Amino acid sequence: MISTLIQDPKNYVENPAKLPVLSDKWGQLEPLASTFDHVDGLFYFTYVVCIFFFVLITGVLALSVVKYRRKTFDQPAASNVTHNTPLEVIWTIIPLIIVMVMFVWGWKGSNDMLVAPADARQYKAVAKQWNWAFSYPGSKVQSYNELWLEVDKSAAFTLQSTDVLHAFFLPGMRVKRDVVPGRQQTAWFRPTKTGDYHLFCAEYCGQDHSKMYALVHVVTADEYAKKPWDVLKDSTPAESIASGENIYKALCISCHSVNGTPGTGPSWGGAKGLFAKDGDKVIGRAREVVLADGSTQTVTVDEAYIKESIAMPNAKKVAELPYRNNNMSAFADLDERRVNCLIAYMKSLASN
Amino acid sequence: MTTNVPAYEVHAGEHGGAKPNFLNVTKGFMSWAATLDHKRIGIMYLIGVTAAFLAGGLFALLVRLHLWEPTGLLFDNATYNQIFTLHGAFMVFIFVIPAIPGSLGNIVLPIMLGAKDVALPRLNLLSFYLWVTGTCFALYAILAGGFDTGWTFYAPYSLYSTQAVISIGLGIFILGFSSIFTGLNFIVTTHKLRAPGMTWFRMPLFVWAIYATSILQVLATPVLGITILLVAFERLYGVGIFDPRLGGDPVLFEHFFWFYSHPAVYIMVLPAFGIISELVTVHSRKPLFGYKLIAFSSIAIAVISFLVWGHHMFTSGQSTYAMFAFSFLTFFVAIPTAIKEFSWVATIWKGSIAMNSPMLYTLAFLIIFAIGGLTGVILGALNVDIHLHDTYFVVAHFHYVMMGSIALAFFAGLHHWWPKIFGVIYNEGLAKLACGIIFVGFNATFIPQFVMGSRGMPRRYATYIEDYQPFHQASTIGAMVLGAGVALMVGYLVHSLLAGKKAMQNHWGGVTLDWLSPTPPPLENFDEAPVVTTEVYDYSTLDLKTTQTPVR
Repeated sequence: MISTLIQDPKNYVENPAKLPVLSDKWGQLEPLASTFDHVDGLFYFTYVVCIFFFVLITGVLALSVVKYRRKTFDQPAASNVTHNTPLEVIWTIIPLIIVMVMFVWGWKGSNDMLVAPADARQYKAVAKQWNWAFSYPGSKVQSYNELWLEVDKSAAFTLQSTDVLHAFFLPGMRVKRDVVPGRQQTAWFRPTKTGDYHLFCAEYCGQDHSKMYALVHVVTADEYAKKPWDVLKDSTPAESIASGENIYKALCISCHSVNGTPGTGPSWGGAKGLFAKDGDKVIGRAREVVLADGSTQTVTVDEAYIKESIAMPNAKKVAELPYRNNNMSAFADLDERRVNCLIAYMKSLASN
Repeated sequence: MTTNVPAYEVHAGEHGGAKPNFLNVTKGFMSWAATLDHKRIGIMYLIGVTAAFLAGGLFALLVRLHLWEPTGLLFDNATYNQIFTLHGAFMVFIFVIPAIPGSLGNIVLPIMLGAKDVALPRLNLLSFYLWVTGTCFALYAILAGGFDTGWTFYAPYSLYSTQAVISIGLGIFILGFSSIFTGLNFIVTTHKLRAPGMTWFRMPLFVWAIYATSILQVLATPVLGITILLVAFERLYGVGIFDPRLGGDPVLFEHFFWFYSHPAVYIMVLPAFGIISELVTVHSRKPLFGYKLIAFSSIAIAVISFLVWGHHMFTSGQSTYAMFAFSFLTFFVAIPTAIKEFSWVATIWKGSIAMNSPMLYTLAFLIIFAIGGLTGVILGALNVDIHLHDTYFVVAHFHYVMMGSIALAFFAGLHHWWPKIFGVIYNEGLAKLACGIIFVGFNATFIPQFVMGSRGMPRRYATYIEDYQPFHQASTIGAMVLGAGVALMVGYLVHSLLAGKKAMQNHWGGVTLDWLSPTPPPLENFDEAPVVTTEVYDYSTLDLKTTQTPVR
């Protein structure tokens, strides 16, 4: 239903940009952009070993079928040998040696991925259905579904989930870590190339799992110093509305439509939307809400109500079904300027 | 192989029709529904699991069609999530786990041992009806709104999802009991009902494989039952074992789930190994290479498979020591598996190879299983798995083992024992054609998935970024071809029941007891109780008069 409203992952980031393209070169892995080159090394090593054994097996099969095909009704087998001890020892020992090499190589590599170097910058990524929020060291402003990192600078992440399992997956960096509610998980990597990269949620997390997408910008030290995540255009009403719309697409669109279509949460627009237009004036509509203690009351939508509902969604839940039964994730850490942009956008949706 | 050869020489000339067999000895609905005959129960399983396979396959085709477009072609996201969950749940719990033991195992194992029936025929019938009941709960769950948790039911999503999770959970709980009872029955049968002279090392390898499977079924399945009960308690009463909001731990669910579900992979695949072991020897007319090694490797796999569950959770935040142990043991389990593959290939080498349809399916299995097993080695490497975990690479690997290997081995076994069970033979030309279509379609479906998975395409995505579209489209086309091949196979198999030619007494020229009993077998399998005097797979005892003229 509501999910059909948004299909383009571009709509999921606050500042729509050109999406990164996977390498169009023919190859198994997309180009590596972090220091974890041991992943590719071992991948291609095992790949070659696999191809060798595959060719060996299919080759012997093909030769057998050609050479020893039954040609007469009563043809017996060319040989009835059932044991060949040297051969059996060889095909036990050689694979064992090969897989032990793979095992040690892989284990050492995975140890590198566990512990971040001491000079790494500490970021925080909070996953919730179905978006990512990133916090930066020394900055109070978060970014949503977009992440800026400095090239050649180790980035360490604390990963948290506010609801169900997610996974923090950057294929270009060869990094993946489950994000487990109730646990603090960690991940780190050092990006080695500037550019834009995909961040997927890799652990199934419900309806819009496939749209839980973020864009990772790896930028130079100069660009990083400008704190690009802290750039919000809200100096004119039109800019505020445009920024608000981007934030809406990044955070809210999974559950709220703007055209009156019902979703997991109530629509912001349409006949039952948040605001109505009376000539030039925008006035809040009245709606029935359920308080935390279960009693109902009627409120008129205004800025205070919206701010409260963003920070504490369950304080005054819309009483209408099914919204009454659905829970919204709290966005208590959304900064005030962005909240104001969202309110400006909500007001722009008002209809007569 | 047996002392009672004269009985079969007499029988060979006038096979089929004249004498009553288990198919026509009694008639009417109740003679089937309340039967205690292992062969009839096996046929009821066969019909049931085939229906489940076709339903699961239909869901798979819907999934593939939907993914034709990056934005999704058919459904909204919530519906897509239900469809892929249904595909997984039907295929794993209702089709693959019971498929081979329930149908071919039930029919063939007692005959191979020289027994009149399984040791506990009533329990056998109960297993079947538990399977039916569990399947009914799964169907009810669809009607009650469906479920969207994935077949893995990971907490806490499965605790919060508002859909029919308890209904399907109860269904799987009941299916689990069906599986346990079947395993128990086969263990007792193997220990107690072997014919005189049938020592452990004279047992055909299919019996060894089913025996190893049965041990796993009895030991591992209760853990799944407990886990599902805990999920149900948690949903109903808020117990707080897995729910982090109540102080529970979602990773504990993963441990419990995979403690069953990894051995379950071998519950599914060991019977397939057993079928292939039989088929390579019969259709190469050559004793199995490394009989004891194959038998012991089944047991080794069964034991080690209990100790590798953590390799499903390398990204979950395990300690480095846990990762060390699980990765090591995962690589270790590759060795007995490789020994099996090499032994099969060595059996075919210098054989007398009949290129008939069961052998074609077997060769298809050997090629596909090589890919499935080798890509498993890639996934066992810790750092590589971290990149590939939860991507289409894993999906493709899993399907190479589950669909490409197990389902193909099931098809191979079905073609092999079809003339034995029903006394009729299908159209050989169509069978070869269908095998070719299935082989091509299968590889076209899943090779693109390996590529896009290694390039980062996550699994369980209703929509995806456009870069992956060519791979998805190739995969979808492959799936349609695969579906057509399966449809053709079902078509000619059903047709053979209505208008197939009569099969020979020993159609392919096997020397195990299943080929020495009358075709189709009588109610209690043998006219005289068999006594085993020769070693297993001794083709010098083969009586060529009872076999078909060779298919070139």
